[in-house]
Amino acid sequence: MSAVTLEDVTFTYPGAAAPTLRNVCLDVPEGDFLAIMGANGCGKSTLCKTMNGLIPQFIVGDLTGTITVGGIDAATAQIGELARKIGYVYQDFENQLVRPTVLDEASFSCLNYAYDDYIERGMRALDLCGLSDRAESYIWQLSGGQKHLLALAGAIALEPGVIVLDEPVAQLDPYHAQKTYEVLRDLNENHGKTIIVIEHHTDFIAKYCKSAALMRNGTIAWTLPAHEALQQLEDLEASDVHPPQIALAGRELKHAGALPQRAPLPTTVEEGFAAFSGIPFIPPADRAGSDEGADRTADAGGSSLSADPIVRFRNVSVSYRSVKGAPRRVFEGLDLDIQRGEKIALVGSNGAGKSTLMKLLYGLIKPQAGEILLDGAPTRGMGPDELSEKLSLVYQNPEQMFIKDSIRADIEFAMRARGVDDAAARTDELLGRFRLTELADHDGRLMSGGQMRRASLAIGIALNPPVLLLDEPTANLDIGTRQEITRLIADLRGVTDTVVIATHDMQLVCQFADRIIVLCDGEIIGDGTPDEIFMNADVVERSGIRPPEIFAMGQALDCSAACYTLDAFLGCFPAWQKMKEHGVAGERAGAPSFSPSSTRARYAHEYEEGDAA
Amino acid sequence: MMEKLSENIMDKVSIDFLRDQVLKNAYGNDDTPIAQLDPRVLLLWYLFFALVPWFLNDVVVLMGMFVLTAITTRLARVAPLVLFVFALGVFSQTGYMFVASLLFGGDMSTLAPLLVLTLKVATVSLASITVFSGLDPDKLSNGLLWFGCPERLSFSISFAYRILPILMEEMQNILLSYRMRGRAPEHDTFGGKVRWVIYQVKTIVQSFYPLMLNTAKRSRTTVEALELKGYRYAATNMKVLKIKLSSLHAGRREAVFAFVSAAWVACCFACPAALEVLL
Repeated sequence: MSAVTLEDVTFTYPGAAAPTLRNVCLDVPEGDFLAIMGANGCGKSTLCKTMNGLIPQFIVGDLTGTITVGGIDAATAQIGELARKIGYVYQDFENQLVRPTVLDEASFSCLNYAYDDYIERGMRALDLCGLSDRAESYIWQLSGGQKHLLALAGAIALEPGVIVLDEPVAQLDPYHAQKTYEVLRDLNENHGKTIIVIEHHTDFIAKYCKSAALMRNGTIAWTLPAHEALQQLEDLEASDVHPPQIALAGRELKHAGALPQRAPLPTTVEEGFAAFSGIPFIPPADRAGSDEGADRTADAGGSSLSADPIVRFRNVSVSYRSVKGAPRRVFEGLDLDIQRGEKIALVGSNGAGKSTLMKLLYGLIKPQAGEILLDGAPTRGMGPDELSEKLSLVYQNPEQMFIKDSIRADIEFAMRARGVDDAAARTDELLGRFRLTELADHDGRLMSGGQMRRASLAIGIALNPPVLLLDEPTANLDIGTRQEITRLIADLRGVTDTVVIATHDMQLVCQFADRIIVLCDGEIIGDGTPDEIFMNADVVERSGIRPPEIFAMGQALDCSAACYTLDAFLGCFPAWQKMKEHGVAGERAGAPSFSPSSTRARYAHEYEEGDAA
Repeated sequence: MMEKLSENIMDKVSIDFLRDQVLKNAYGNDDTPIAQLDPRVLLLWYLFFALVPWFLNDVVVLMGMFVLTAITTRLARVAPLVLFVFALGVFSQTGYMFVASLLFGGDMSTLAPLLVLTLKVATVSLASITVFSGLDPDKLSNGLLWFGCPERLSFSISFAYRILPILMEEMQNILLSYRMRGRAPEHDTFGGKVRWVIYQVKTIVQSFYPLMLNTAKRSRTTVEALELKGYRYAATNMKVLKIKLSSLHAGRREAVFAFVSAAWVACCFACPAALEVLL
């Protein structure tokens, strides 16, 4: 039996010129674990809102076609009846939590639908989501990952047969994202729930989903078993979905003739191992690179005493007041030096102390003990004016950087306040650099996620700060936009001197950072080059960071391999190396090239076009 | 020393601190004897202490009631900030009059009439603080619900407490944006100080625009989620109301509380008469 059926569904938002959904046909069988993929703005969230009756019952618009959920018609059924058939977890799940305590939140819907045993039902839902030990906690005591699980618990408390999640991974660190998916798998396999996720991360799709659908321009292009779906590389790339790096590697190796043409493309590390282990794989002879890297940091460490570091934490201790009981200690005697010109990634799970470290630097939190030296001077006693001469912070939430009613005014604001002479010219230059010229008079809040991000970066570097702090610059973005932001940040290498990024995005880390600082429970458990960190199994294990898939693939083939990019991985295959040389020759002769970098270039180009439109 | 002290105060008085105090006030004291009482009994108790003092003029009786509410406030473990605001409020109501009268040739005899007014204000304020800050918002709203207040009001109370910390965090970040990117006037001279204060006030006013827009953006999800969770549905369903109110229970503890309060007040009323007889 089908859990959800959409027949020829078309939906137009009031006042919109074109329909957001066009003739969508989708059939989700009971017990399925379906991923819906597609570029930002292709109608994925709208599709999900038709399933739970929000469209058309709450959000009006022009809807045709029929939607059946658990045997009832979603467009006309009582929302209450429908809520018992289908649960929904938003992307900005934090705004979905409306009650102060965990158990209250989980049982709220059951109470509203007048179940006498609403407490038991709430507890059962918490139990399924692994939160039963936090039942009495208050919402703000939970970490981001736990809040997400709570939103899920609230959605399943009414025991719906179908659960819809909008981008569950976007705001979570890799460890918590995995945990959420484990819970979903349990619900799917052991409790018979049908699960529908909107997802960009193909590694999660490969690992957990049973089938996948691709949405393009408001319609479903195809629905396939997950495994097959991920092999449709061209379709995925055209829709800004980043195919698994392992599948891309498989395609390249097919072109190189190292893999048989008919073989299915591998999508997970296990499959990749099975497919690639027969092909000669030689990582760059000795790990000279990593040794060199180690030497470099050692040198830097040695010379740091003479060449004064730009930021210095000396024996810093910080604790937060808690609502009840003893204050919570975040840092205890923290020592850290940041050298001029370093590009640093700050990683670690939610709540490890990344934001606190940034807030300390920014003077938003004062340490209870110890001191922080900025360019040799203690930050205590420095006014915000003085601090902002030296550093600039780009928030995780770009909305909070928009204090004026247009992007231009926002970028200009700091320069005008300081009487910079060529403020207008510099603003124009920044608008151009971040491709915002056409949007200059828009309010930042009304732009798309990627545009907001770009604007916030432009605001952040307006004053040419010697130290730039970026908090999760790629969170909540689809892969195409994420790559664009990553590239923009990489471009900053020449512009700003010292950059510190707090992030979960390991691709960004690999492309950008020279030095990785791993935080775990307020302690620095790893500090070194990417090689030193990712090759250290203990650090990876303790901090819950996940190196990019391609790195794990390289490790599976040869434990000394340290490839962070697809090119580096492919470079270890002599067969591919050979084809590349030929390919370059072929390109000169006018033959199409298949190198992944050209794919990436195409991507960026397409994105730009979409954006301008 | 002075510098150290002001630095210390500046460290503490931040939006973070306010947020912490709001949370503490709402939820940090749910295990106190006051918080465990039935909200209906407390509301009735409040009704008495909020109205009766206005009709009394006897210093001794008022003093007795003041002591009682002071004790309940202590028992409710109210957040320091609230007490500070209370003290400030009482002083601004009457305290300054005493100071003013002293300056203009008054003496201790002015104290007595002022004391009566001060005690009235203080007793009523402390009673409100005990009830509204000692109870957690959910219990309070359940109590109000029982007395027939509309469901929307009681939900708003608990939802406000849910949203306040979020609002404050948002406010903090926006203010920080202004502070870091703007430039406050120099405040070494007196004129500079005035300009500085004006600048700060202007910043706070200006940050309301982004704050409201950001909150409006966020609340879209909240409104939809409420709809999905059947909040609107529950508002019209009497059974939901019954289930909610079934958690209310008045027993021995409430009886003891009511008896002690009544006995104390009776003593207070009897006291002046007793004193007369004795003297």
